[in-house]
Amino acid sequence: MIGSVGNSLRSPRVLIALGMVGAVAFCAIFCGVLAPHDPADQNLLSILTPPAWASGSDPQYLLGTDSLGRDVLSRLLYGARTAMIVALIASLGAMVIGSILAHIAGYFGGIVDWLIGRLVDVWMSFPPVILSLILMVGLGIGLDRVILAIVLVDWTRFCRVLRSEVLVVTRNDYVAAARLLGFTHWQTIVREVLPATLPLLITLLSLEMAIAVVVEAILSFVGLGVGPDQAAWGQMIADARQNVYQSPWNLLLPIFAIFFTVAAFNLLGDGLRRTLDARLAETGH
Amino acid sequence: MLATVAKLIARRLLAAIPILLIVSALLFCVLRLLPVDPAAMSLPPTATIVQIEAKRQEMGLDKPLAQQYLIWLHDALHGDFGRSIVFGREAGSLVASTLPATIELAAAAMIIAAGLGLGGGLLLFSLRDTWFESVADLGSILLLSIPEFLWGLILLFVFGVVLNALPFTGEVSPNLPQPHITGFILIDALLIGRLDVFWSACQHLILPAFALGLAFSPAIMRVLRSSLFDVYHEDYIQQARLRGLSERQILLRHALKNAALPTLTLAGVQFGILFSGTLLVELIYSYPGMGNLMIDAVRNADLPLIQAIGLTYCIVVLSINTIVDSLYLVLNPKLRVR
Repeated sequence: MIGSVGNSLRSPRVLIALGMVGAVAFCAIFCGVLAPHDPADQNLLSILTPPAWASGSDPQYLLGTDSLGRDVLSRLLYGARTAMIVALIASLGAMVIGSILAHIAGYFGGIVDWLIGRLVDVWMSFPPVILSLILMVGLGIGLDRVILAIVLVDWTRFCRVLRSEVLVVTRNDYVAAARLLGFTHWQTIVREVLPATLPLLITLLSLEMAIAVVVEAILSFVGLGVGPDQAAWGQMIADARQNVYQSPWNLLLPIFAIFFTVAAFNLLGDGLRRTLDARLAETGH
Repeated sequence: MLATVAKLIARRLLAAIPILLIVSALLFCVLRLLPVDPAAMSLPPTATIVQIEAKRQEMGLDKPLAQQYLIWLHDALHGDFGRSIVFGREAGSLVASTLPATIELAAAAMIIAAGLGLGGGLLLFSLRDTWFESVADLGSILLLSIPEFLWGLILLFVFGVVLNALPFTGEVSPNLPQPHITGFILIDALLIGRLDVFWSACQHLILPAFALGLAFSPAIMRVLRSSLFDVYHEDYIQQARLRGLSERQILLRHALKNAALPTLTLAGVQFGILFSGTLLVELIYSYPGMGNLMIDAVRNADLPLIQAIGLTYCIVVLSINTIVDSLYLVLNPKLRVR
């Protein structure tokens, strides 16, 4: 495991991806210092100011302002914070629930496995976008609700893929040996099975972060996301659509921010998959 | 073979019944968590508390949740999904009038995704062991990072706003007649014999269908490439090479056929996700399908409508999975023996 982590860190793909994730994380952590304005501050005297490279720009607003005169750069930076918080907590939450259920199902098998399998079936019969929208209607808007909705929708991604991995690992002789040595089920799972499934888990986590960023953007775009008092990229896109002819950059910049972040996590996931040699099925999304 | 397929479909239908029951019960419970009162919403704001209370009793909202669900289920089985609070129409007929447009969009998008996926997969595979391989691979990951709603916005911006080349709102131009016979606009336009309507509908379909197709093709490309890699390890490829077939013949006549099967399974899963992806694309392009209806319902907390649409999405996804599995059975000779 430690050797393969070293391997990963030598792969240029992983390093570039880590750099990209690091850049977004840096914006997210230090947006309070980096942002020249309060992201919610409205300046109705200078609305839809173009960015610095276009004519008629205002040096005060490097990337221009939106239709309410809010600084686009500051909103992008605070949007990074929203996206990263959601990506981190939601995917960790989905991972914890999904992998616990996967380990229980794969390790014990039998009726428990069957029950968890049917639960996943029911969940998967719901398209993720539809399920998260319905959950947001039930839960109401807000950052914590977005996170909860993503956890509730996406735990199946971990559960489905990990379960088959656990099934393979559990058949190994060393797992049986651990049981013979008098390990409890809990000890066997944590000390013998989990380390073997960890590479796959880390890869899936990285891919899930990309998905969480997209889902957060989608929910904010529809208007059922983090709420109007918090800057979010999806919301910026929804606002910019109204004035796409006057200020196209207001639309393009958050689109690029989402693409950059999602690409970073996808690249990281792909790089980790190659270097940690996880038997991850190519499932695309 | 038909018997095997029939058996599979029957088994799938049987399995779908409990899933749909559980899904509808879950939907019901989640939607009842809402702090909105459907009785108060369906009355004018001037209604008195007594009137609202009477309406609550009339709608059965004072009964226990399980009983409410059974009443809903009973009505739903008789084709009555309740009345939309916002539109004041039958939720079932609202869904039925918007579903064809969504199916049309999803089908067009799937054809595009399959075409791009096939072409891209063959391209990725033929670049193997060359300097371009890692570039193409990187490109496919970057493509994978653009979800359908970003493609929707990007295409709208480039082809609609900047180039002004294609229309990007609605399903036909507003000055043309909008036929409503089957609900499928392309078919309806031909039925009334108006080629101009058909042409306009095609133009309106291009951007949303490409937005969806582009978003879902990279996954298909990558799976096709990796299944081609697997197939090339098989003996019969070496055999074909020894027989003197060209690489092109081997790839297209022998390898592709066998690599297509795992790709088909994935494409089926993708089609399910793609179908729900229509929601965002419809929103972006103001396309009059079920997705826009869902957005309206969600924004107005229109419970009966959300429930009917949510269930419809589930049914469509389950049917797509069944169709793909039957296709798999038909196309894979190994599974035909019983």
